[in-house]
Amino acid sequence: MPLSTSNFKRRLRLPRLFFRKPTQLESVHGGPPLEYERPIPSIPWRGITVVVVLIVIAVTCAWEFYCRSIGYGPTLNDNEDLWTMARWRVKPESVVIIGDSRAWFDLDLDEVQKGLGKRPIQLAMGGSCVYPVLAELANDENFHGTIICSIVPRLFVAPPGTPPMQNAEKAVRRCHTQTPAQRASQYLAMPLEEHVAFLKQEEVNLEELLKRLPIPNRSYAQVPPRLPPYFGTLDRERRARMIEECARPGSELARTIQQIWLPLFTPPPPPTYIPKEEFGKKMGAAIEARFHDVAAAVQKLRARGGKIVFVRFPHSGGLKALEDRETPRAGIWDRVIKDTGAPGIYYEDYPELSGFNCPEWSHLSAGDSVEFSKRLVPHLRKALQM
Amino acid sequence: MLFNSLTFVVFFAVVVTAYWSIRSWNARKNLLVVASYIFYGAWNPPFAALLFSTTAMDFWLGRQMAKAEGRRSRRAWLVGSVCMNLSMLGFFKYGNFLLQNFQWLLARIGIIYQPPHLDILLPVGISFYTFHSLSYTLDIYRGVLKPTKSLRDFILAVSFFPQLVAGPIVRAGDFLPQLVRPPGLRAGQFLWGLLLMTLGLFEKIVLADTMLSGSADRIFGYAGPLVALDSWLGVMAFAGQIFFDFAGYSTCAIGAALCLGFHLKDNFRFPYAAIGFSDFWRRWHISLSTFLRDYLYIPLGGNQVRPVRAATNLVIVMFLGGLWHGAAWTFVVWGLLHGSYLVVERVVRALFENKEWTNNLATRLFAGFATYAAVCIAWVFFRASDFTIAARMLHGMFGGHAHGDAILSTREMLQITLVTAGMILVHWTLRDSNIETAVMRLPGWIVTTAWALMACAIILTQGSSNAFIYFQF
Repeated sequence: MPLSTSNFKRRLRLPRLFFRKPTQLESVHGGPPLEYERPIPSIPWRGITVVVVLIVIAVTCAWEFYCRSIGYGPTLNDNEDLWTMARWRVKPESVVIIGDSRAWFDLDLDEVQKGLGKRPIQLAMGGSCVYPVLAELANDENFHGTIICSIVPRLFVAPPGTPPMQNAEKAVRRCHTQTPAQRASQYLAMPLEEHVAFLKQEEVNLEELLKRLPIPNRSYAQVPPRLPPYFGTLDRERRARMIEECARPGSELARTIQQIWLPLFTPPPPPTYIPKEEFGKKMGAAIEARFHDVAAAVQKLRARGGKIVFVRFPHSGGLKALEDRETPRAGIWDRVIKDTGAPGIYYEDYPELSGFNCPEWSHLSAGDSVEFSKRLVPHLRKALQM
Repeated sequence: MLFNSLTFVVFFAVVVTAYWSIRSWNARKNLLVVASYIFYGAWNPPFAALLFSTTAMDFWLGRQMAKAEGRRSRRAWLVGSVCMNLSMLGFFKYGNFLLQNFQWLLARIGIIYQPPHLDILLPVGISFYTFHSLSYTLDIYRGVLKPTKSLRDFILAVSFFPQLVAGPIVRAGDFLPQLVRPPGLRAGQFLWGLLLMTLGLFEKIVLADTMLSGSADRIFGYAGPLVALDSWLGVMAFAGQIFFDFAGYSTCAIGAALCLGFHLKDNFRFPYAAIGFSDFWRRWHISLSTFLRDYLYIPLGGNQVRPVRAATNLVIVMFLGGLWHGAAWTFVVWGLLHGSYLVVERVVRALFENKEWTNNLATRLFAGFATYAAVCIAWVFFRASDFTIAARMLHGMFGGHAHGDAILSTREMLQITLVTAGMILVHWTLRDSNIETAVMRLPGWIVTTAWALMACAIILTQGSSNAFIYFQF
């Protein structure tokens, strides 16, 4: 029978976990002799592992507390797998919202459901061109539902190979090629993302933190403009809501984002390796092709009974001035409506839709999005003849 | 299923727990077979049937070969196995490539032929598992392996999930003996396996995907001329990215196998500290280079033939090695470039053999630097999607675009420089050693800190489940 002192000794020996010498067998290899065996370093594995686990838990918790303390909250990541989940919910007669982040933040699904009688499915994507998604729905022979399509001119005419097109194409491709493993990962990730604030793929990761280092660039370097920081949350239906801090008028976050929109919405200088005239011609041809492709997609959709309405959502301040100057209404909006023959709702045409202020110039606050949606619904019903 | 995905974390935890909870060795092996097919089927379930059919055919062909009497009949069975494996690879991987080249050839003689585009989905990892399976019949033919009686064991040898889709190319002869006796659960081996998995994921998620891939993608995707600095940094970023991506996968695979009690050989041995190209290929993708050496170069005559013939053999082997990586002429040029490097190296070695100064430190460092630079130049063809991009990159690297564009931010330039410098320093420090010895020599607190830092960096980086580059091969 072991004495109580032996237990005491054993307890005293606990720290030796760190310095325990491996057995002869462990130091030579890990098991019986084989033709090839990897050497296993003979170090105190158990102790090291315990310390590593403790450090990782401590650092992770500290990082989570820090992220929450500076305003981050748990939210889903908007990635192609979440989009694919939404896309798969689309039924033949569904109401679907497509386009950019304005349709994403500004439309309240509950209000649209109340008004149109069906729960809409949110397929709009931040910073994306609408065309790939519109074309995908138009090519889906089963779909003959209703599309609410947001237009932001600069994103609408984004040429192939640019990030707005790539974002949308990536999501559309994923919807057709998603593997069971990717689907499973999405299901596993969602509960984690809903509870852990630092799980933000495009915000609080190492790459983004490195990007924020104040390192000046070469004066002649063509570096892409930075993207706005976190300012919204997302739920499983992909309903985006602006966070309180950003919605507060004059908040520092809102002001920071306002200054980020301006370079993002300013047309980049033409590339140095193509003559200006040739580039202008190429861009003109690409834009013409986009009008043509969109009109063809709309025609295809309508031919089998589908409906579409284009919507221009509110934007304000310096961004509105910039958009009005660079992409005037007559240039793109009017042309889309004319070419497609589809109804359009331009918020400025209706006093009840025009009085909203976008805190960061581009999107409505969560509260305003409900009111805006409520006021938009009668116009949607009329445009869609519902 | 990707190693850098949540699905794999859950999958691996369940498999490891179940594996070590089961007492029966047969039941454990059955579990690994099921797990490996789930792992593979998680990409595209129908392709698991293709994997099974390849494996079953080679199992049967191996038995027939062993039963056959006479060299001619054994050779016939071998030809059957090689044709079956290579035709599968040829159809899925090279079908469209062959058709396009056939169309091009006909057009040269004035025949306009529009082949149908075959909408073939490339089964992930087909190049790897075809070679796993092929090594079995080749080794039986060479008389170095007896056919296994257990189809289940052979299925496991081919499809063992840690090495199934992106290597290392584990030969059946190396794996089957490990299936005879059950391995015991040993803490040191298991935890070393976990540390290797952490290291592999760190290499992939943090170093390859976060620190380097963005810059490499931007440089190779840029449609205009680039200044020399940006061009070189882009190529160096890709050189680092592909090393960390592929070596990271191999390290994960070795670690995961160790956690299950299996021993896989090294696939990388600090390749950027190579002095010369034969040294490079003894350190880079070792399982492929030894496969090509044993099953192609030596049967062609190896070094035991006249120098010109040996040089031709080298070029043939590297040509096929290039083609193995992908169905594009850029990969072929990459392979041929390495083939020509090897030939030039032989000539240089013959010229300066027994010269004292070739062994001094400065010469070795210079040779190491020259090897790295030449390998980087070859990477241009590996990474570029066509020859226009490759030519533009090379033009930029050698100062052809003095007024070209600069597109890398200072942060990106620092990242590439620091990661590349760190990588080369580690490779040179450990070039004549191995990671196990390094870990043994380091104080415990450094190992603990490094492991914890890598794990924290992986969590902080989060990753977005980018596929490993070698999956496409």
